[in-house]
Formats: sequence, C-alpha cells, structure tokens
Amino acid sequence: MLHAILHELQTASGPMTLRQLSRRLGVQESALEGMIQFWVRKGRLAVDEGAGGVTEMRVCSGIVCGLRSCPGPGACPLTLKTPARFRLSVPGRH
Amino acid sequence: MKTKRCAYCEEHPAADLAPPSRVREDERTFIVALAGNPNTGKTTIFNSLTGSRQHTGNWPGKTVEKKEGVWKQGDDRFRIIDLPGAYSLSAFSAEEVIARDFIIEARPDVVIVVADATNLERNLYLVLQILEMTPSVVVALNMMDAARAQGLHIDIDRLSQRLGAPVVPLTARTGEGIGRLTETLVRAAHESRGRDPFRFTPPNRYSPPIEQAIARLEEAIGDHSALAQRYPPRWLALQLLQDADFCAEIASLPGDEELCRRAERERSRLQALYQTDIDALIAEDRYAWIHDVVGEVIRGQPQGPTLSDRVDAVAMHPISGLIIFFGLMWVVFKLSTDVAAPFVAWISLFINDYLAHWVLELLALAHLESTWFASLLTDGILAGVGGVLVFVPVLMFLYMGMAIMEDSGYMARAAFVMDRYMRYLGLEGKSFVPLVLGFGCNVPAIYATRTLENRTDRILTGLLVPFMSCSARLPVYVLIAGIFFPQFRTPAVLTMYILGIVVALTVGLLLRKTLFKRSETSALLIEVPAYRLPTVKNVWMEMTLRTRAFLESATTIIMTVSIVIWLFMAIPVSGEGAFADTPVDDSAFAHLAGAISPAFEPLGFGNWQNASALMSGFIAKEVVVSTLAQVYHAPLEQPSHEEDLGFWAEARLAVASFFQAALDTLKAIPGIIGIDLFDGEEAGAPPGLGAAIRQGFESASGGYGALAAFAFMVFVLLYTPCMATVAAMRHELGGKWTMLSVITQLTIAWIAAFIVFQGGRILFS
Repeated sequence: MLHAILHELQTASGPMTLRQLSRRLGVQESALEGMIQFWVRKGRLAVDEGAGGVTEMRVCSGIVCGLRSCPGPGACPLTLKTPARFRLSVPGRH
Repeated sequence: MKTKRCAYCEEHPAADLAPPSRVREDERTFIVALAGNPNTGKTTIFNSLTGSRQHTGNWPGKTVEKKEGVWKQGDDRFRIIDLPGAYSLSAFSAEEVIARDFIIEARPDVVIVVADATNLERNLYLVLQILEMTPSVVVALNMMDAARAQGLHIDIDRLSQRLGAPVVPLTARTGEGIGRLTETLVRAAHESRGRDPFRFTPPNRYSPPIEQAIARLEEAIGDHSALAQRYPPRWLALQLLQDADFCAEIASLPGDEELCRRAERERSRLQALYQTDIDALIAEDRYAWIHDVVGEVIRGQPQGPTLSDRVDAVAMHPISGLIIFFGLMWVVFKLSTDVAAPFVAWISLFINDYLAHWVLELLALAHLESTWFASLLTDGILAGVGGVLVFVPVLMFLYMGMAIMEDSGYMARAAFVMDRYMRYLGLEGKSFVPLVLGFGCNVPAIYATRTLENRTDRILTGLLVPFMSCSARLPVYVLIAGIFFPQFRTPAVLTMYILGIVVALTVGLLLRKTLFKRSETSALLIEVPAYRLPTVKNVWMEMTLRTRAFLESATTIIMTVSIVIWLFMAIPVSGEGAFADTPVDDSAFAHLAGAISPAFEPLGFGNWQNASALMSGFIAKEVVVSTLAQVYHAPLEQPSHEEDLGFWAEARLAVASFFQAALDTLKAIPGIIGIDLFDGEEAGAPPGLGAAIRQGFESASGGYGALAAFAFMVFVLLYTPCMATVAAMRHELGGKWTMLSVITQLTIAWIAAFIVFQGGRILFS
C-alpha cells in the first residue's frame, strides 16, 4: 500500500488529489496522509507548501515590498494561499 | 540533570518533572502514559482524569511541554503523564523521540493510547507501534459521537481481539465513557504488576523474511543481558533492523558492536531481497495489517461519491473546470468594477468636492492659497494620492473575491485545473502557483519560484510572472476603461487578465521550445481542502489586511512619487513662469517625459502626459493613476453644489452620500447576473480628469482615442511591473536574466500595443 502510492504517482498521466488517490487505493484519506508523510520523511516525496516558508519570510521582511502590515511570516497580506503539493523527488536531491 | 520543582501543587512527594524512576515509589502508585495522535482529544481525557491536580514544565532538554497529573482511586494513586502528540514513534521529531523514550525507558505500568474513531486507519499506526513496545496498553477510542454521526459502526469487541488490548469507546468532550476508561485503567494497572514487561506477543506479524531476521536478532540480543534487561528483545530487534542510527544510541556496552554488525548484515540481506529500504517494508506490513483490521471492524464507511466529490467532478474537470474558473474571475471583476462603482464615485466626490474644498478654505484662512505650499498640497499630494485612493473600493472588492475563493477551498481546485494546462504546454505544472500569486503581487510571486525544483523552471517561471496582472494594475484599467468603455468595463478588465495569461503561456511555450528545453515534469499529488462556507471574519480579515498593505504603499511610495513629480512639474524650463507657478507644458517634467514620448507615437499615446505616467509607473503601477491625475492637471473645483454650505452641512452631505453609495452598491449586485437595478456611474474618473484624459488620448492618436486607450492598457499590463519586482528578480534570477526580462517585457509591451493600435486603425478606418 505504501509502495502503491509511489507506483500510482510514477504511472499517473496528470495531477491527482489526495482524495482521488485514497479512493483508488481504498484507504482513508487521513491514513493516506500518514503514508505520504512517511515518504516525505524518507525523501521519496517532496512537498511544496505553495507560498509558505522562505517566500513569505522574505516578502514580509519589508525590504522588498515596503509593507509594514505583515504581522509575521505566514501572514503576508499579498500572498495567496495555495494547496500543499507532493511530487516524486528527483534522485539525489533529498 | 537539573529538575524543576512544581509550582502548582504539592501532590507529588518529589514534585519534579523528571521521568519517573523504574523503581516504583510504592506498590499502590502507578505510572500511566497518555499517548495519541495530535487533535485526538488526549488533553480532554487528561483533564477529565486529573482535574486541577496537574503541573506543567518542559521535557528535560527539550522545549516540548510536559504535563503531569494525579488521579486517585481508593488507595491507588495514578501518576498520569501526558506524552506529546505524535503520529508515529519513528524518531523523526522531538515529540516522537520523547514519547518513544518515555515508554521504553520509564516503562509505565499502563499506556493509554487515545485514537480518533473517525480516522481509525491513521491512528492505529501509533497504536500498533506502542503495542510492539509494551503489553500494558488500553486503547481509548475517542470521538465516538462524530463516528456515529458519520454513520460508522465500529465493532469494539472485534477490534479489541485483533489488537490484543482493551478498547474503550468514549466521547471525551461530553464525558461519555470516561467511567469505563478508568475502570479499565485500574484493572490494566494491577494486571501489569504481575507481568514480565519484555515477554509478550504483539498482535501483528511481518513478512516471513523479516520475521526470520527479527528472530535471529532476538536470539543475539538474548546473549547481551544488559540489553535484554533494558529493552523488549523483539522491539529492539525491530528497531535495529529499521533504524541503522539506533545502534549508535545503544552501542555503549561490551559486545554491542557485534550486535550492530549483525543487524547490518540482516539489513543488507533484506535489502538485497526486496530492493527497498527495510523501514519502508516494515511500515508497509504494518499498514497492510491495519488496513485488514479496519476493513474487518468498521462498517458503514461511505462507499459512493459524496456531494463534494460530485461538485469536484465538475469544478476540477479539464473543460468545465476551466469555464468555472473564468466564470468566477468574471464575477470577481464585475464586483471590482460595477459593484464597487458607487463607492468609487463616493470617494471621488468626497476628495474632489468636500476634502478639496476644505483644504482650499483652510489655505485661504491661512493666507496660503497662492503659495507653492498650496500647489504642493493640491496639485501634488491631493491630486496624486487622492487619485489613487479613489480606487480603494475596487481593490477591496477584488481582495474580497479572492478571499472568498481561498476560504471556500476553491482556489486549490483552480490550481489543480490550471496545473493540467501548464503541463499541456510543456511547463512545470506547479509554475501555476507563482503565476497565481502574481495576480496579487508580482514580488511574492517571484520569490515563490523558489518552490520549483530545478533552476531552469525557476528562471522560466520568473520570466513569466511579470505578465500576470497584479492588483496594482487594476486601478489603471478601471480608470481608463471607465473613461473610454463605460459600458464594457468588466469585459475590458477581464480581457487584460486573460491577455496576461495568454502572453505568459505563449512566451513560456516559446522559451521552452528554444532556450529552456527540458524533459517531462513529475507527477503531482495535490492536497485539496474540503469545501466550506467562507466565514465573514476570515474574508474581512484577508480583505482588510491586503487593503491596508495597498494603503501603506499609497502613503509611502505614491506620496513620494507624487511629490517628486510635483517638484519637476513646478520647475519651469521654458516660458516665463516661476517655481510652482508655471504652465505644466513648460515644466521640467513635461520636457523630460516629452523626450521619450516619440517612442509611443506609433502606439497612439505619444504625448508627454502619457509617457510620464508610464515612466513613473516603472517605480510602481499604482503611480500611473496618480501621475495621470497630476499631469492632466484637472484643477480642483468648487463643490458641485452651488452655495457654500459650511463645514458641518457639507460633512452631513458627505455622510448621507456614503449611505446612498452603500445602497447603490447593493442595487448593483444583481447586475452580476444581468439584472440592472442601478444606473452605474463612471467609476474612477474624478470631475474634469476623465474629460482631460479623453482629450489627451484623442489628440495623441489622431482621433482614435479609444483604440489608443486600449493599447495603453495593454502596455501597462505587459511592461515592467515595478522596481520591487525588478529587485526581486535580480535577487532570485541574477542580473543577466533580469536585464533580459525587462528588455523582453518592454519589447513585448510595445509590439502588443502597436498591434492593437495600428491593427485597430486598419480594421476601423
């Protein structure tokens, strides 16, 4: 089941949602999240948090935008929220 | 280790937060660990058991909070330690290490594992790992009310049989089942005293080669009495197999090195057999066992598609999803233009009728009406900043639309739909993320390219981001479209956004086919949140935060640029005028902008006024509007009402007109679906300014004012967004690519505007 996640991603023709994959594998979505986290920890899946982390830190530093209204990282007003995305890692990059 | 004394109670003789000793305090004191995934109600259960008899501190050497409390039952005393929430005990995080080490090192008499009944499959992973560590486990199956509400029926007895541990169904929130939990806890605690904590059989079995390796290692561990007395042999064997680093933690005793070498040989053997990591094999077997258990004990799991699934089938379909995306964007722009129009008109009225009048009156009172200061205040700051502030409602409605799409969970679906199209064009699918961010502001979008895996994709996406129409460009479109296409404002604005996407994709495709050839992109898994009704609080917060950011730029960048422009406009370089008293055509600014205006003549807007707006727009796009307001020199007028009513009467009129604007906004909402209750006003053009701009474009284009205006909008869309974006690009992509990008943007903007104007002239002449 754990390896089936990697197999599904390797053979997928396009993007899919967690829900679609959970239906395909017949596991609860929350259990699938746990399995995905396992592969993320192993470095086999990479996670993109959209505009999170470094991006917002830099924008909210105020140096670039000149904005003073950022209460802190993760709250830059001009940054849209985007979904977390997982992809197969390129070997040697993790 | 230094211990910390408890400041809250005198319940514990030792009153410290150190791990309890393996030597029990007395026969009637039991150590109970409370474990579970985060958000399973563990704290609620802890509070139910211990009440106010708790104390808190940190785990030794960690910043993770430790809570401990006491529960008494007759002569029995239970020290309950709330372990940090963790999804597994795989030692990847501090919380996991703390929980694992406590169970292994402190050997609690009982471990209560709290599991969420609605997410049993995920929660059982931790349960199983703990069942592999200790035989004294009680499973508290919480949130049974939610499980029942979802129609789930869990066969508790069968689950208990499969786990080999008591399972207590409960709803900690209401207190249901807590009594049974305590009864079970007392029983389990007493039973634990007569049991060998290292000799037990966990409920699951692994694949035969793994079991054989475990057995061989168990045998080897038996030869090391120190280790065999410290750890359960089977658990230790499993640890040594799945975690090479664990050897370093235990290898401190004579002979341990040999055990580690043996574990290494077993790992190599299994790896050669399965061609994958052993921990993945072990986790695979655990998940398979859990899946089997869940399939056996849960009945009533939803089988068919839910309502959300059915909505997603349409909203995330390649064709209908795209139509819905553009349909929603249409609604957002309709809100930003037509529905916002009454408020735009109100702010314009307020600034130009009332505020300007009051400023003029104040200046007259101070005998300053004919000074340079009066000119700076009225022609510089009020005209410049006021000209942009008029568009605050436009941005508020845009930000509101975006916040609703985000908060409802739709934005994630839009990203999913667009991802597919990015791939069709040979672009990295997730390039869409920075591109979408670009609609808000290009600067964070440029930084978001960091999330892309390879440098080629980062550069390519960074080059495309400036073509996405940021929110600062919207006021320009609304102003120009309001003057030249009042009946078609929304389509004109939406066209700009679509054109930006089309240009970005076309340029991306061309670059991918030429400079940035690359292999296919990797598959993606996207976490799409559940649909939910947007909350007023969230939407309001997002909207006001973003609007505040815009207002900050209005009071800093725009005001600065307005003052600089006023200064250049105040300096006479021809004619006979004096400082701050010169015809604008004779000013330094007119001559400076006039030097570059010939470049725009083929585009239909080649006069110095338009050139100057584009020139200052290089600093920030918000400034285009303020510059237009200044250079077209719409003089501040007396209020539209005939007589001077006095301050308070005018203030009352201003407030009354605000409520009228609010009413008109409500009337304008049905206009989104074509029901016209409100006779819309020309949004964004203060008195006199619209006419002056129209005349300027007409004369510069030889009578093709509307065409030139449209070409102007196209140019504003496609040329360099702002200095901050250029700085971000230089930081992320380097000077060479930034230079190329700026030149490319100017070239594309010029060519596109040229095609629009000259092509239009041929078509319409």
